[in-house]
Amino acid sequence: MSLALNYIANSLLILCLVTSIIQSRFLFKIQNYNLFSISQISAIQFLSILVSFFILIFLFITSDFNFDLVYFHSHSEKPLIYKLSGVWGNHEGSMLLWILILVLFNFLFSLSKSSSQKFKEITVAVQSLMIFGFVLFLLLLSNPFNINNENFNDGLGLNPILQDPLLAIHPPILYVGYVGFSLIFSLSITGLLTSEVDKKWATIAKPWVFAAWSFLTAGIALGSYWAYYELGWGGYWFWDPVENASLMPWLSATALIHCVVVLQRRNTMQSWTMVLAILTFSLSLAGTFLVRSGVLNSVHTFASDPGRGLFILIFLFIILSSSFLLFALKSEKINKPSSHNISSRNTGIMVNNWLLISILSVVFLGTMYPLATDLIYSQSLTVGPQYYAISITPIIILFLFFMILSPQLSWGESKLLKILNEMRYILISCLTITLLTSLYYDLFNLTEILIIFLSLILIISSLSSGLNFKSTKVIVKSNFGQSIAHAGFGIFMLAVVCNAVYSQEKIYDAKVGSKLQLDEYVFDFKNIEQEEKDNFNSIRAYLLLSKNGKDLGEFSPEIRFYSDPPTITSETSIIHQFFSDIYVVMNVPQNQESISLRLHIKPFMNILWLGVVMIILGGIITAILNRKNYRENEIN
Amino acid sequence: MTDTVKKRLIKFLVSLIIFGIAILIIVYNLRDNIVYFYSPSEIIENNQTGSQIVRLGGLVESESVVSDGDSIFHFKITDGQEQISVKYQGILPNLFAEEKGVVVEGIYMNDGRFIANKVLAKHDENYMPPEVIKSLKETGKWQE
Repeated sequence: MSLALNYIANSLLILCLVTSIIQSRFLFKIQNYNLFSISQISAIQFLSILVSFFILIFLFITSDFNFDLVYFHSHSEKPLIYKLSGVWGNHEGSMLLWILILVLFNFLFSLSKSSSQKFKEITVAVQSLMIFGFVLFLLLLSNPFNINNENFNDGLGLNPILQDPLLAIHPPILYVGYVGFSLIFSLSITGLLTSEVDKKWATIAKPWVFAAWSFLTAGIALGSYWAYYELGWGGYWFWDPVENASLMPWLSATALIHCVVVLQRRNTMQSWTMVLAILTFSLSLAGTFLVRSGVLNSVHTFASDPGRGLFILIFLFIILSSSFLLFALKSEKINKPSSHNISSRNTGIMVNNWLLISILSVVFLGTMYPLATDLIYSQSLTVGPQYYAISITPIIILFLFFMILSPQLSWGESKLLKILNEMRYILISCLTITLLTSLYYDLFNLTEILIIFLSLILIISSLSSGLNFKSTKVIVKSNFGQSIAHAGFGIFMLAVVCNAVYSQEKIYDAKVGSKLQLDEYVFDFKNIEQEEKDNFNSIRAYLLLSKNGKDLGEFSPEIRFYSDPPTITSETSIIHQFFSDIYVVMNVPQNQESISLRLHIKPFMNILWLGVVMIILGGIITAILNRKNYRENEIN
Repeated sequence: MTDTVKKRLIKFLVSLIIFGIAILIIVYNLRDNIVYFYSPSEIIENNQTGSQIVRLGGLVESESVVSDGDSIFHFKITDGQEQISVKYQGILPNLFAEEKGVVVEGIYMNDGRFIANKVLAKHDENYMPPEVIKSLKETGKWQE
């Protein structure tokens, strides 16, 4: 049985290799093969990987320990969902998932009708060339279907910190984002090859760019939410190298989505769009490389193997050098002369592009500097979070300013005084609200006040530009997605600042029966219980939360002792209120009498996540509304 | 030189200067926020006392962990050659244990004690911070 499955799965992978070679024929001008259409071959390509992925899932569910991967990363007593997430909780499985998404995008694009036949052929060919590279890598260096000759009774288990429902869906979603940019990359290469980077190109690329960007955003957000409640450190972003590795492609992708819009509307910024498309995909690849290779010393590096990193590094080098060479050869041809006024929306978007790239540079230097000093001076060091806060804050203030201004500017020419006049009510009301609240809450830091003020204007001006109020009817305008996402970013920034300023934390050595206090909240420590569960033992503490004598709910923080592999985890307990999260973490009891508890008040967390959800929604709405928009444009 | 080439050259130089200044500011800021990592031997050798925050890593010496209530802990970190007494107030990470690898962040005092404000959490009981492995290898105490 195991041998047969091994044989089938490997054959399917080889089938995918073969179809990829057939698909890439268009790059070499071989056209006389017409037995199947492109989309049919893409379908075979997709199905071969899909079936082998299902085989891997089947192996994990049936706990077939004849396979190395299952033996090392699963355990027969694990709940079903974690057997499933074990499939991509390791290097080989996650590579197969990566390839699955790669072929899925190729298949979906081969079905789409937005582009000409020739354009589609070349795009699919470029994408297939990449599929070829990755499947070859999988077969030679990290085959998930390797068989062992031992008869293991049980597996070694999945790291318990990864046994979390959220972490089961975080990698697939993040990967859809990362890999989505592979298609944008293929589209760009096709655009450069055919010298057709224009309005038409932007219209083809736009839904894919926005979809990939939305998934990337959602993937990062899920990871951040997981870190918030699972790691129990009270924060949601730690400037950890692996988090940075996912933030960097996001920053460049955010610049890219705006460029694609400019390209679609104004037929300008061709070169810059190409540079960003190549950069975004390279950073996505590097993100995978950094996370999976163990080059970065991080809490996220669960699977580490520097040898495999080398392949992705070489792959990255080939992609970067060949695509920039192509770009250098073609950039003259794709650039159309354009003239636009300095006070137009183009300028605003361009400035914010630069600002995004500046933030990207800050993050890049902060992530790479420790690697460089370790290699050159063999001096280990880390870069403190303060570095990021100090460097990024001034950029963010400028960024918010231009984010408010740009949508008010027209594509042609605008008078700044006229805009100021139109916005006077918003400006005055936001200024009043900011000053009153900062006086009331004793907020005297100018930077913080400025960010709150700008965020408020951004929220209100974005929302009012996306909706049209006409007497009793509310009309949703075509830039609705943009206005939701921009308002979401304002809400997010507002929450970030308020959370940073008003968070509170206190550690107690507590006995059962004692009452603990933090701010106006009282924590009544009721009791401790021990429990035996399926795959772990737990100690649970129970605390009642009240404020001014009013009951608000019960906490049950927990310590879990896993045996396969032996690990201890803390489960935080959070009570969500509208304006603040109350958060309790407990520690392994050091003695019988008392237990260490850490209490946090985390204001504005719900609002922060609301902002993030709005940003993602905005991206999805824009991806869907794209076609309709374009038709409207043609009429204009 | 034609006009367009001149224009381009100026554009290029101006953006290079702006970019250069930005990088300088960032690197300057970076240097202020770096946390260096030392092993006990290195920290004694470099005599890194004072107000700068540093990281110290090694093994928790066996039978050295003492708690005096109120979440205050005392323990010793060793690399096999030297040892440093550490004082820490807070919650110890779940995987903190004697004879296991640990990294603490804080200030090395003039009297040779280390006041930690952070004990870094690691997830896997077999996990050893790479820096600790490196310093153990240097003192010959590393066992595969």
